Amino acid sequence: MGTLNDSRLPYNYHTREWGTVPPDKKRAGFQWVSEVAYKNVHRIVSRGYDTTELVEAGYGLLDMIFIDFQARIPTLEEVQMLNYIMVMGLEDGLSGPAVMARVVAQGKNLLTQAAGASILAYGHAFGAFSAFGNMMNKYLDKVAKDGMSTAQAAELLVRENLKDEALGVSDLMLKDPSAKNMIARAEKLGVSGKYTDMLKAVAAAAQKASSTPVDVDMLGATGAIMLDMDFSPEATWAVMAVCRAFASGSHYCEENERESYQRLGEVLTPKEWYDGPADRPVPSLEERAKTAKPTRCLTPEEWKKAFDEKQKMVGTGWAIVEEIEVPKTAFKKGKDVKKSSSKIESIAPESCSKTSEQMKAK
Amino acid sequence: MGREALLQRKTAISYKTEEKTVVRGYDLNELAEAGYSFIDAMFVLYQNRLPAENEEKMLNYEMGEFMEHSMSPSAASANAVISGRPYLPAAVAASVMTFGGAHGPGAAHGYMLNKYIEQARVEGITLDEMAKRLVDEHLDAGMAVMGMGQPQHTDGDPRAEPTHLKHEELGLSGVYLEFQRSIEKHFHARRKKEGRKYVAVNMIGAGNTALAELGFSPNAAWCIGCVCRGMSCAAHALFNMRKGRAWAASKGEAMVQMLDLTMIKYVGPADREVPSQEERQEYAKKQKAEGEYKQWVL
Repeated sequence: MGTLNDSRLPYNYHTREWGTVPPDKKRAGFQWVSEVAYKNVHRIVSRGYDTTELVEAGYGLLDMIFIDFQARIPTLEEVQMLNYIMVMGLEDGLSGPAVMARVVAQGKNLLTQAAGASILAYGHAFGAFSAFGNMMNKYLDKVAKDGMSTAQAAELLVRENLKDEALGVSDLMLKDPSAKNMIARAEKLGVSGKYTDMLKAVAAAAQKASSTPVDVDMLGATGAIMLDMDFSPEATWAVMAVCRAFASGSHYCEENERESYQRLGEVLTPKEWYDGPADRPVPSLEERAKTAKPTRCLTPEEWKKAFDEKQKMVGTGWAIVEEIEVPKTAFKKGKDVKKSSSKIESIAPESCSKTSEQMKAK
Repeated sequence: MGREALLQRKTAISYKTEEKTVVRGYDLNELAEAGYSFIDAMFVLYQNRLPAENEEKMLNYEMGEFMEHSMSPSAASANAVISGRPYLPAAVAASVMTFGGAHGPGAAHGYMLNKYIEQARVEGITLDEMAKRLVDEHLDAGMAVMGMGQPQHTDGDPRAEPTHLKHEELGLSGVYLEFQRSIEKHFHARRKKEGRKYVAVNMIGAGNTALAELGFSPNAAWCIGCVCRGMSCAAHALFNMRKGRAWAASKGEAMVQMLDLTMIKYVGPADREVPSQEERQEYAKKQKAEGEYKQWVL
């Protein structure tokens, strides 16, 4: 049958066993392992605290966020600060999350699908708290381990990441004082620390390096203060994305209340917006055999030529180049390849901002 | 990207300029500077108003207890999604999306309350009489009464009755609590009469009743309850991301993992040979004619 007699197969495909794998009696059975919470018939316990006892004692949502993510009761100042941050993070008009929720609403879906979808708007450009935090950690490591000053580390960070959407410094808040107010509030409450200091140094360095005015933006202010309150970059990412999802629910409601649903095939795309191949006749299946050829390449040179050609075809994905993590020694021998222009790590990405830059360049 | 809105929409929720972001008329930064809480902001967002202090306390209580519920469909989906190591928001989004007709059906409960309260008003009967009708109608039709029962907390969700009591203690009782309490009374009486075991009010019955009393629409209440959970599910996903094994199937772990092959119990059609392409058409026609496959159609 097909290739199943090929001797290069790792085992005999004709004598393979049927049936499911019997239970593993040598190892402990599967259990829900968690450091975060457990429950029994009468209790729900988060990080050791009974949640009903917590709310009866006057603790609320924001305290629970600290408890779940950090296994500790926050100070009153920290709760005040998180309140401030989450009020500011709640709504942002018709930006990505609201639009995601509204598009899902147009399809006549449940609110929870819309709210959930809005969370997906948070990536490494919009709401890039993971990328921002990991970038800060990378350069603050140079302060801790390499003896750099904060100003030197900030200058290096700016030199290497000035155009990164996750910089936390941009031209977005030049007229809106909210980001600066947030930092002032953190300092007043005594919850700011090394990350806020670093952000200020980054802003100073960016202002020197940039030809246009820039300043701390909401990503930077929010991200730095959350890090100073011991939220990890990823926890910050999640907290802020979920925070916005509350408002996305409101956009879902309004879309349902004010707009009509969208039917399959209803939306048109004007031909004037189209810049792909010109309209052309579809060949018959017989003609296909004469014209269609496999795309395979037999040499690296052929591959490179084809690769460059494919990068010109927008919408195929070939123009997106994401750098993956490889051992640091991988390209040290021989000629170095041209550095890919973005970096996306599987868990804690530092930046993928240059991907979009590259796209623009194309 | 430019700074223009991604959709052209008339909206009564918010606007954003280069100078400020305004929600329901309030500058968000002014709200934060004045010391209003995120809980207060929920009332602004969904009700165009700032809450009374006791209302803020009630919502804070509820959101605090909604947030974490350990092993539930939402946390399970967060863990399952993160086992593939996508970006964290994918796991959080999935967790929020698990809320539907069985897991936290808050909107449906809200609509039920509104429908029957309105019917009581129209007919001029008491809420207690209408609650009895609601219970009888549902149970006679073999339908579950929303807001009652929880599969894990078989003696009653530990959060539920305290939520009712807090609702009363804070002086917020109104038609919703009166009606919900009546539903529970008639539900318990009917089950007792039928010799069936006690089934307590759950967090939809208790929590959603309070949210309705606080002035939140069924969907707004649902959003508040479900999105809160996204916070804790992010923590569960992060725990698995940091300390668990990707793919959740490693043989190297001391404990059998969630996706270990031994976890599969197959109950589908018996093992069978793949027909050759020469045999295919006749085989397929016979299979369709016999119709045995229909028992497996999903």
